[in-house]
Amino acid sequence: MNVSLTILELAVVSLGIAILLVDLWLPEQHRRLLGYTAAAGVGLILVASFLISVPSAEYAFGKMYVMDPLALFFKRFFLLAGAIVLLLSVEFSDRIETGIGEYYTIILFALSGMMFAASANDLILVFVALELITVAFYVLTSFQRNNIKSLEAGVKYLILGALASAFMVYGIALIFGTANSTKFGDILAVAGSVSSNPLFLLGILFVLVGLGFKIAAFPFQMWAPDVYQGSPTPTTALLAVGSKAAGIVLLLRILFSAVPQIASQWTSLLIVISGVTILYGNLCALPQRSLKRLLGYSSIAHAGYLLLGVAAVSMAGSSAILYYLLGYLFTVLAAFTVICIVMREVDNDDISSFEGLHARSPLLAATLSLAMISLAGIPPLAGFFGKFLLLKAVIEQGANEPGYYCLVIVALVGVVISLYYYLGVVRTVYWTNPSPGQASILVSTPVRFMIYACIVGMLYLGLLPNAAVNLAIRAVQVFHL
Amino acid sequence: MTQEILFYVFSFLTLLSGILVVANPVSRNPVTSAMFLVLTILFMAGLFVLLHAFFLAAVQILVYAGAVIVLFLFVIMLLDLKEEETRRVRKIGAGIGILAVASVFGLMARTIGTIPPTASSGASRPTLEGLTAPLGNALFKQYLLPFEILSILLLVAMVGVILLSKKDLR
Repeated sequence: MNVSLTILELAVVSLGIAILLVDLWLPEQHRRLLGYTAAAGVGLILVASFLISVPSAEYAFGKMYVMDPLALFFKRFFLLAGAIVLLLSVEFSDRIETGIGEYYTIILFALSGMMFAASANDLILVFVALELITVAFYVLTSFQRNNIKSLEAGVKYLILGALASAFMVYGIALIFGTANSTKFGDILAVAGSVSSNPLFLLGILFVLVGLGFKIAAFPFQMWAPDVYQGSPTPTTALLAVGSKAAGIVLLLRILFSAVPQIASQWTSLLIVISGVTILYGNLCALPQRSLKRLLGYSSIAHAGYLLLGVAAVSMAGSSAILYYLLGYLFTVLAAFTVICIVMREVDNDDISSFEGLHARSPLLAATLSLAMISLAGIPPLAGFFGKFLLLKAVIEQGANEPGYYCLVIVALVGVVISLYYYLGVVRTVYWTNPSPGQASILVSTPVRFMIYACIVGMLYLGLLPNAAVNLAIRAVQVFHL
Repeated sequence: MTQEILFYVFSFLTLLSGILVVANPVSRNPVTSAMFLVLTILFMAGLFVLLHAFFLAAVQILVYAGAVIVLFLFVIMLLDLKEEETRRVRKIGAGIGILAVASVFGLMARTIGTIPPTASSGASRPTLEGLTAPLGNALFKQYLLPFEILSILLLVAMVGVILLSKKDLR
């Protein structure tokens, strides 16, 4: 039993417990330090993760847990997102009346759940890791318990999350009943004989439904806008990046490591879901006036773009997903950082609160605009190259099935629609004057560095994509495609 | 022989207290119903013991007769269901209930009918023993990692519940 493989998760969990305990004895005025410590700790673990190298897949706990390049890629991804979100929570801490120490702790535990999910090689571990993430998010979404919107978000997430878990567990039970194992390796071995069994297919379908809720794909997207709008902003940021990426990595692992034959049989289903998700997200985002809600719909659209890569059922598609997620991380976290800081002045995320932002804080205005341009997919930022890779992967598969060409057209239509609302935000930021009496916004030094890091990330991935693309290609070698 | 006698005793008592939960001729107090539910669960635990499912029997008593019933009683007492004692049974409700029970019986009968006759002869009977030792082995060897992750999950749930429900957080 090779316990040392789980060292990164153990480090995050220990950090979480340490923060929880230190919080008991720490005087009120030093609470800010606690958040910085947590962020620095996660940053250190991220740096330490580069000491680990996994030339080939290694297993622990009876092949339940796998450590391979894909797992390591996503663990680093989650650690990076976690460090940024923790810094963002320090910025947010004055708006949380009580229990800020617990807020950091639960973020850390959610982070460990995502990291376990990245290494899951067994449906039981998939379920337990997902539950850890989801239960942590039930608390994180309703953390501002004096704010009625935050509570509404929490209740909605709780009910739909429970429904998703029910689907998931039912699916796992059906798979176990027909394939007689929950391990991905065993399922792959018997998949040839059971893949015609309708109960087995129903099981796979239910597991996909459970994951569909997590990534907010149509028709399981209805929770996303309300929850994104009502939750505390750092929670929304973690939900948009971490929870979605965890759902995607599990989707990739289950579809391409456990049941690759079924994945290639179900391409039409994946194509339809991807196309409808893109159109739904983009069309519903058009009339939104609340920026967080707009980003909620935009995240649905992006789930659709990510599903392009899944629908392609190819190495190129999977590696494009990984690259796209990396760009999405920097972009979305930059956007939510700006929202978080601006909402400190006016407790309102209506787009009109961002009027004349260029005069109040040039840095924030530039960051928000860059993030919107990257989300829209305009060169030279990360979002453009990610969409390019995804569409390229889909077109490559077009020779096998003409449906792929329709999907490309739908995706392009979606991109064009999205230009309208993303650029609308940019227009509000630059082409309006601040209403009188609005002072300029101060940005604290750690947050300033974080914003620079996000901008550098967006530009680097867009201008010099080679290193990241190679990393992504190496990570997806683990799939049986 | 003793086992068979005990089986009939426990089955009879389970059914009797089950009937008394929903159709008690003496009292229609919800608390009395809940108490008969405790008895039903206890006698059912006896049936589990006869099947050598000792762990299941213990869990049945601890979780259902203990925790869940306490929850039931809390709800009953908090809601103060006085009108429940005088309310009449609605025909539609009774009809749906009978339909549900009949479907479950039909399903059970079908399943028992599909068992090949050799299965009951003992030769191919699975060696399923409900002792705690195999369960512990499975939990701490095969499923160690999910089991440990669940402990983090419980910690998150505990911290979350305290944060969200405590009256004054200062």
